[in-house]
Amino acid sequence: MAVDTNKLSDAESLRKTRTYGKFRCHNPTCMGRLKPKPGDKHVRCPVCTCEFRVAWIRPDFPRIRGPVWEVNKKIAEAAFKKKMEGK
Amino acid sequence: MENKNKVLMINPEKCTGCRLCELVCAVKHDGVSNPARSRIRVMKWEMDGVYIPMACQQCQDAPCMGVCPANAISRNDELNVMEIDYDKCIGCRSCVAVCPFGAMGFNSIDRKVFKCDLCDGDPQCVRFCEVEAIEYIDADDVAILKKQEAAAKLHATSHKVALKEA
Amino acid sequence: MALDRKIAYINLTTGEVEVKPIPLDVRRKFLGGRGLDAYLLLNHSEKGCDPLGPDNPLIVSGGILTATCASATARTHVMAKSPLTGLLGSCNMGGFFAPEMAWAGFHHLVIKGKAEKPSYIYIHDGEIEIRDAENVWGKTTTDTQWAIRDELNDQEVKSLVIGPAGENLVAFANVMTGIKNAGGRTGMGAVMGSKNLKAIACRGTMDIKIAHPIEALEYNKRFIDQITSAKVNKTQGTLGTPFIWGATNSWGGVRTRNFQYNQCEYADDIEPEAIDEICEDTMGPYHMSGCFGCQVHCRAQYRIPSGPLKGTYEEGPEYTSQGAFGGETDTPRAETVLVGNHLVDQYGMDNLETGSLISWAMELYEEGIISSKDTDGLDLRFGNDEAVLEMIERICFRKGKVADALANGGIPASKTFGKNAFDYLIQVKGMSNLHSDERATPALALNIATSSRGSDHLRSRPAIDLYHLPEKVLRKIYSSPIPYEGPLSSEHTAYIGKAWQVFWQENCYMGVDCLGICKYHTTFLGATLPNFEDWPKVLYYNTGLEFTPEELWDIAERCNMIERLFNLREGLTRDDLAKGDMINHRYFDEPCRRGAPDVVGLTIDRGKFTVMIDEFYEHKGLDKKGKPKAKTLKRLGLENEPSHML
Repeated sequence: MAVDTNKLSDAESLRKTRTYGKFRCHNPTCMGRLKPKPGDKHVRCPVCTCEFRVAWIRPDFPRIRGPVWEVNKKIAEAAFKKKMEGK
Repeated sequence: MENKNKVLMINPEKCTGCRLCELVCAVKHDGVSNPARSRIRVMKWEMDGVYIPMACQQCQDAPCMGVCPANAISRNDELNVMEIDYDKCIGCRSCVAVCPFGAMGFNSIDRKVFKCDLCDGDPQCVRFCEVEAIEYIDADDVAILKKQEAAAKLHATSHKVALKEA
Repeated sequence: MALDRKIAYINLTTGEVEVKPIPLDVRRKFLGGRGLDAYLLLNHSEKGCDPLGPDNPLIVSGGILTATCASATARTHVMAKSPLTGLLGSCNMGGFFAPEMAWAGFHHLVIKGKAEKPSYIYIHDGEIEIRDAENVWGKTTTDTQWAIRDELNDQEVKSLVIGPAGENLVAFANVMTGIKNAGGRTGMGAVMGSKNLKAIACRGTMDIKIAHPIEALEYNKRFIDQITSAKVNKTQGTLGTPFIWGATNSWGGVRTRNFQYNQCEYADDIEPEAIDEICEDTMGPYHMSGCFGCQVHCRAQYRIPSGPLKGTYEEGPEYTSQGAFGGETDTPRAETVLVGNHLVDQYGMDNLETGSLISWAMELYEEGIISSKDTDGLDLRFGNDEAVLEMIERICFRKGKVADALANGGIPASKTFGKNAFDYLIQVKGMSNLHSDERATPALALNIATSSRGSDHLRSRPAIDLYHLPEKVLRKIYSSPIPYEGPLSSEHTAYIGKAWQVFWQENCYMGVDCLGICKYHTTFLGATLPNFEDWPKVLYYNTGLEFTPEELWDIAERCNMIERLFNLREGLTRDDLAKGDMINHRYFDEPCRRGAPDVVGLTIDRGKFTVMIDEFYEHKGLDKKGKPKAKTLKRLGLENEPSHML
């Protein structure tokens, strides 16, 4: 037979390195680990200070939703102003 | 025998309509891909988003067995499955006409009737159905599971009513 | 055998049908599906042919693995010269059509000519008939399918159809099968409409022999486990593609108000979980459905929850509809997205193009380039839900000046509107961009700029670039099957190494499109999904053909080059904003204003972007003008195209 079925492909071996159960900050270069306290409706990223809404699938299973609009909007406006000044 | 009381339990609510069961059934039995050869078929009401897999129920009082003039159909008690003896089968298709579920097929290429044989105790449709719309379980468990499902719905309804009243 | 499926040449003018086998040497060069379609298109069309004329060949196909014992071999590919772009027209769809066509005996159809009156093609177990479609002309996409089933008295018939938009030659009309599976892009529905071809109906009961059935079955099980265990596919199977919206809009990757912002604020109503709740409320807990043989089941089912169409069944919406009818037009309301999605499905037009052009028209309205006089009094301002839904209908039926112009596509419409309307049009090669905003992601910007069918996220997007995978992991993925020792960066805002990633993805996506399987089953949204190394096994067990991963890579590269050759023949030039590998100036000039703090202020750097394109051309074996070098064509065995092997 031409094909070896027992050898794991790269895709298969990469899959084994995955982690479960935590979520990451939506800020793509930040990606800080977020661990909301049980029942929290919002969570603030300890690294970049962005805030996100939290939904609880089960009492021990949080999921990230979208931004807390007012908070992140202010952060974005401040960052934009600062960057434009720098140009 | 552990398979003695086992049946295919189909839960149409869970079916995603992908028809992988049809594909693997034909590949397993005939080495080909062709839903026309599959022992299980998914019937669809596309405008309602409803998909219902249909397969042999292995009836206790099986009409196919009763109608067969050649006594080619019999019950295998060990697997709890109705079997066709192709040495006796005369291909009259009476069983196809009489089956209330349309589960007896006729293969116009090989000119033979065919039906679900539960893959000798390891049904491939069950093995490949990730959403568990088809399960292979003890018949006694089916009744309990159905009871639990129905009760859960009642429970949810009464809970909602209680919430509303409060 | 999958390999004994045939190719049919159908002439609608004369009614002649010719059926031929597909020789093995052609298979080994182009496999099937999109790759072989591209070869057929290049060989069966004349330079400069009219996309809506009888000589434009409409090519419909399944992949080499379609309906075999492999996972999710549901994809149908359609190709022709595009009436929207004047370049390559190409679209790919799920559902159940291509498998039915394969069971009916065919892998490829080449349809030429123009029927005298509305017609449809009926293919059943090796037979091909051209039938009268007067009774279904004018019907919606679903009504057409059910009417054809009733006429043929066979409820198992699967049809590829056009809706009213295709009949009205809307330049971005799509072809559809089922409720919502759409070959959406580049206006293949208009090509069908121009041929008076309302539908292609298939019904097949012919065996496809599997070369090694037991091994194929066992390997398929392992393949499926690999696919369904990927976290991304679990999420897909729960929320469908709308799941992408969550993080993307959160960090600021969603084009809003055409191109004014990169985030749709207060879009809670159309967040994936909100849409999922509507699906659950209206269809129950098990509201996901799947294409043929697919265990990802990413297609949600819903009923419209409110409004005049309340209770109407529909499938989706996809990520694209969220952006097209929610984000770009700044109307983030669930009902608008769900109704908009339903209307385009019924009319048979591309949701992405429709929403994108409506949002462009809204910006022109805001800028005063078009006025309420042009819109017959319709208040085409951003945020006006009713106007979005009204415009969908107007475009389909070409009602009024603005809608009629939009129905011709963005670039022709910009000429109708005049002034600097073109400057606001977010397109590449004449096709509108997805609602994703690529200003923070140079790799994705390169992808849309160089995609063969015009701005597109499904031809070469390295979507995993946003996951910030460690460089070691990136290297593992991107240096196989062909060694790559150049730079790679985990940083999505970087420019280095991105050209190689885009080149690799371009070949990867061509690979799956030739096989006829879905992109969710390869390195697209998940880094752990199968690609070149895994495909030889599936191919061997199902067809008996032996390939190495490197050979499959070569095939993919060859097929991509064929598409390039077609585009060059039809006038692609590197820096031409209307017909080249270039993006709108706003990507370079207008910084992102919303989203994550790391994203705001970003633009694409014009100099670095040019270097990326140079690198990309280098990887592809093109010269600086984007034309293939002689040695590249020789290496790929394409020095004698068109070679007319089929």
